[in-house]
Amino acid sequence: MANVETLTLDCRDKPTRDINNAIRKAADDGVKTVEILNTRARHNIGVGILKPIHLIYRGHVGYYTVGLCDGVTAEIHGSAGWGVGDNLLAGEVVVEGNAATSAGPSIRGGRIVVKGNGGPRCGVYLKSGDLIIGGDAGYMSGFMMQNGRLIICGDAAKGLGDSMYQGQIWLGGKVEEMGSGVAETEPEAGELDAVLEMLDGYKIKPPKAFRKLESDRSLWNFNKNDFAAWKDVL
Amino acid sequence: MSSAFTRPPAYSGVWHPDAIEEIQEKAELGRYQIRGQATKRHDLPSFDDLVFTPAGLSRMPLEGYRERCDTKVVIGEGRVSRPLVLERPIMIAGMSFGALSINAKRALGIAASNCGISTCTGEGGMHPEEREHSDKLVMQYLPSRYGMNPYDLQKADMIEIGAGQGAKPGSGGVLLGLKMSEEVARMRDLPPGVDQRSGCRHPDWMGADDLYMKLEQIREVTNYAVPISIKVGASRIANDVRIACKADVDAIVFDGMEGGTAASPTIQLDHAGIPTIAAIAEAVEALHDMGKQDDIKLIVGGGIKSGADAAKAIALGADVIYLGTAPMIALNCHRPIYLDDYERLGTTPYECQHCHTGLCPVGITTQLPKLMARLDVAEGAERVTNYLNAMTMEIQLFARSCGKNKVADLDPNDMRALTQDVALMTGIPMVGLNGRQPWWTKF
Repeated sequence: MANVETLTLDCRDKPTRDINNAIRKAADDGVKTVEILNTRARHNIGVGILKPIHLIYRGHVGYYTVGLCDGVTAEIHGSAGWGVGDNLLAGEVVVEGNAATSAGPSIRGGRIVVKGNGGPRCGVYLKSGDLIIGGDAGYMSGFMMQNGRLIICGDAAKGLGDSMYQGQIWLGGKVEEMGSGVAETEPEAGELDAVLEMLDGYKIKPPKAFRKLESDRSLWNFNKNDFAAWKDVL
Repeated sequence: MSSAFTRPPAYSGVWHPDAIEEIQEKAELGRYQIRGQATKRHDLPSFDDLVFTPAGLSRMPLEGYRERCDTKVVIGEGRVSRPLVLERPIMIAGMSFGALSINAKRALGIAASNCGISTCTGEGGMHPEEREHSDKLVMQYLPSRYGMNPYDLQKADMIEIGAGQGAKPGSGGVLLGLKMSEEVARMRDLPPGVDQRSGCRHPDWMGADDLYMKLEQIREVTNYAVPISIKVGASRIANDVRIACKADVDAIVFDGMEGGTAASPTIQLDHAGIPTIAAIAEAVEALHDMGKQDDIKLIVGGGIKSGADAAKAIALGADVIYLGTAPMIALNCHRPIYLDDYERLGTTPYECQHCHTGLCPVGITTQLPKLMARLDVAEGAERVTNYLNAMTMEIQLFARSCGKNKVADLDPNDMRALTQDVALMTGIPMVGLNGRQPWWTKF
């Protein structure tokens, strides 16, 4: 398959294992791009891919698309099910539609871009890298976030950034209720410009203004004199 | 009056000194108590409530100390390309680097390798030294996903999806700041020194159908090579087993409420979950209900101390015994050395449950270099190896005495119950009844 620039893979009638093996073989063979047809919201298509390759999904995808991958780039021309980009180490996933619960859970690097809305728990346990939500984000987004950037251009539901350890949340719209241990901070020089530049790269219309949110570190270590903060999270 | 008369204690049975001490400690701390090791309850049904009924005239025993008695267990046989072969029906339970010192992890890895069994990463990722020292290493896949990456998953010999633990079912891990060293924090992508509280619910699956998809994802990443188990704390164990069967795991792991921990709210240790012996009975029945008893291995932990406990658990239907606290004790936990340090913690050997503080006097549950140095890796590995050898021989003794040339052939008919409670919950007949109704019921 050497020198093939683009491989077209039709998921219809193919077991998941065969599809993923075909993608892995294409990456081994130096194929640059795999175009995946008839995805039909199937789960686990394009997981465990550890060599650089570009995946183009023509349609909606199910759970864990581009999960546990390293160095993969992907564009999803549809919406994504739970856990898109799960545990990504490096690379980029762009979802043209919406993403269901737990978009980008526990990613440790790379970037996930959801141009539409994100479900609950966007960026849960985010450890590094960027997660961009072009629209609104569901409840408890950024829950127990450990590092990285969560950028929400629209509104956020209850519990935003609850119990986050580190990292940054950039919020363009309103928040229904802030999570425990989160504080608004002043952006440092160049930080906002970097966020706006990133959005521009994906042709996502930025909000009128962004608020930067970070951990206030009140939950890093137990303090009996701050029981109001701890009663919900200890 | 006889001199045997003992005056009842003057303190209240309700406001017992322990209850008073607990209230006063909470008044000081402003939070619930946290401690390590396991429940302090003395009133749980135990394996001591069962006895073996070895061979006599009606059944022939094997030669007690010599005749071959097979101990091997294979997890995932016929299901994955690289099943996990255990030379004995024992695994070292998941205990994290962070909860344990690296010297403890090294020693456990060496001992497990000596015995042809596995050890387990616990939470916090796979430490390279643990992989190096463990011939067979299980990697835990937990809600927090600390240190998780596909490369380490591919290096593992089995993946254990953690969904709970017996010491605190329904709650996540706790690692207090003193144990969050630079290295532990780096592996977990956390700031050093924070009190870490792990999530208890996986962020990206919920329920039986999702679990099947999660299993498929991990099987894809590991190329269907190694078995996958799921671990729960024993509570709603029968239904949990049914769900695990539906998800088509290769093994189900649970520990009862006697299960160990490096740090847990005390109140959960003592008031949540069900005892191991009761959980085995429920789990085995559920496996049979699902028709999976021959396909899915049952790995059981929680308070198992000796070959007698282990053999009884196997006879009740467990395939493999999961040991955490016992190997730590073999490593030197509770040993009466460094007595001044026990005293500084306000405790003594045999009573110590201070794993959570990170100030372990014997260097096992600490990240402080000075304390870690107290655990000699080679010596510790030898002690754990000896203990595991002794336990294996004890299990074989019972199997041989019951006329079984395979440990796995021990079954409920090899035992009788000493107490009605255990007879009721396990279905093992009471002693003296020969498996029938009492003789007087005939008249």
